[in-house]
Amino acid sequence: MMLSRLVRPSKSAISQLGTVSVVQGSQLPANSLCVVRCITSGTKAQAPFKEGPERDLVNFPRPKQLINPSPVRLGVFPDSWFTFFYNKTGVTGPYAFGGGLLTYLLSKEIWVLEHEFWGGVSFFIMIIYAVKKFGPQTSAYLEKEIQNDLDEMNAGKINEIEGYTKSIENEKKSQFQAEGQKMLFEVKRENIALQLEAVYRERLMEVYRSVKNRLDYQLEKTNAERNVQQKHMVNWIVSNVKKAITTESEQENIKKCIGDLKALAARA
Amino acid sequence: MGWGEYPPEYNARVHGPYDPARYYGKPDTAFGQVKLGELGAWLGRRNKRPVAIAQAMSRAWWQWNHKFAFPRKAGIAAPMQIVCGSMLFFYIMNYGKLRHHRLYKYHW
Repeated sequence: MMLSRLVRPSKSAISQLGTVSVVQGSQLPANSLCVVRCITSGTKAQAPFKEGPERDLVNFPRPKQLINPSPVRLGVFPDSWFTFFYNKTGVTGPYAFGGGLLTYLLSKEIWVLEHEFWGGVSFFIMIIYAVKKFGPQTSAYLEKEIQNDLDEMNAGKINEIEGYTKSIENEKKSQFQAEGQKMLFEVKRENIALQLEAVYRERLMEVYRSVKNRLDYQLEKTNAERNVQQKHMVNWIVSNVKKAITTESEQENIKKCIGDLKALAARA
Repeated sequence: MGWGEYPPEYNARVHGPYDPARYYGKPDTAFGQVKLGELGAWLGRRNKRPVAIAQAMSRAWWQWNHKFAFPRKAGIAAPMQIVCGSMLFFYIMNYGKLRHHRLYKYHW
C-alpha cells in the first residue's frame, strides 16, 4: 500500500504533463518575440547611457554629430541672426536692417567700391553658378561615400548584435529543451513507479496464491484424515459386530422376532 | 592653468566626454537675452584676462565647426563663411589704403 501511495502523485503529474506542455508552447514564442523586440528597438525605449552616478545628462548631454548643418540664408548668413530680430521687428526686420546698413555704408562711401569689389562680384557669380550646377551631384556623391563609410564602420556592431540575438534565441531554445528533459525525467520516474507497482502487485498475488495453496492443502489433509478415520471406524465396528453374531444369538433373535410378530398380530 | 590642460571647472564624472565647444563654468545670461541697460554690467562681469579671451575664441571656433562644418550633410556654407569673413578682415586691414579709392567728393 505504501508503494501504491508513492505512485499516485506521479500519476497526477502525468495528467499534468499535457497542460504543462501547452503552457510551455504558448509562452516560448511570446518570450522570444519580446527578446527580439527588446534588442531591435530597445535603445529608443531605454534611458540614455549614463557613465556614472554623478553624470549630469540634462545640462551636459553627450555631444552628437548633427545630420544637417545650421540653416543659413543668402548662402552665408546664419539663420539665427535673422530670427534674433523676429521678436522686435517681424520677419522683414533683418532685411530692412541689412538693407539700411548697406545703403548707409554705400551712400557715405564708408564701404568704398574700388576695382577689387567688382572682382569679388564676378568671383561670387562664378561660385554661385558652380554651386547651382555641380552642387547636387557633388553632395549626392559625397553622401554615398559617407554612407559607405558608416555602413562599413557599423557592420561589426550590427553583426555582433545579430550574433547575440541569435545566441539568446538558441539559449531560450535550449532552456525549453531542458524543460522537456525535466518532463522526460518525470515520465521515466513514472515508468519506474509503474514497474514497482506491477512487481508489488505480482508479489501480492503470489503471497495470496501460496497462502491459499497451503490452506487448501490443510483442508484436503484434514478431509482425507477424517475420511480414513471414518472408514476405519466403520470397518472396525462392522467387523466387530459381525464377529459378535453367533448361531445362538441368531436363533434367539429369530425367536424374539417371531414373538414380536405374534404380539403385533394379537394387537391387530 | 596652462597649455594642454582642461579648464579647472571641467569634471569628467559630471560632464562626461570633453567637448571643446562647451563652457563648463557657471553660465551667465546669454548675450541675446541681455537688456540694453544691463549691457554694461554684463560686460563688466566678463573675464578679460588674455587666457580667458583665447578660451572664448576657441569655444566659438568649435561651436562654429559643430554647427556648420562637422554636420554630416554640411554644404558649401562653412567655406563661404570663411571666404566672406576673410574678405571682411582683409578689407578692414587695408581700409587705410582703400579709403583713397573713393569715387565721390561729396557724401550727403
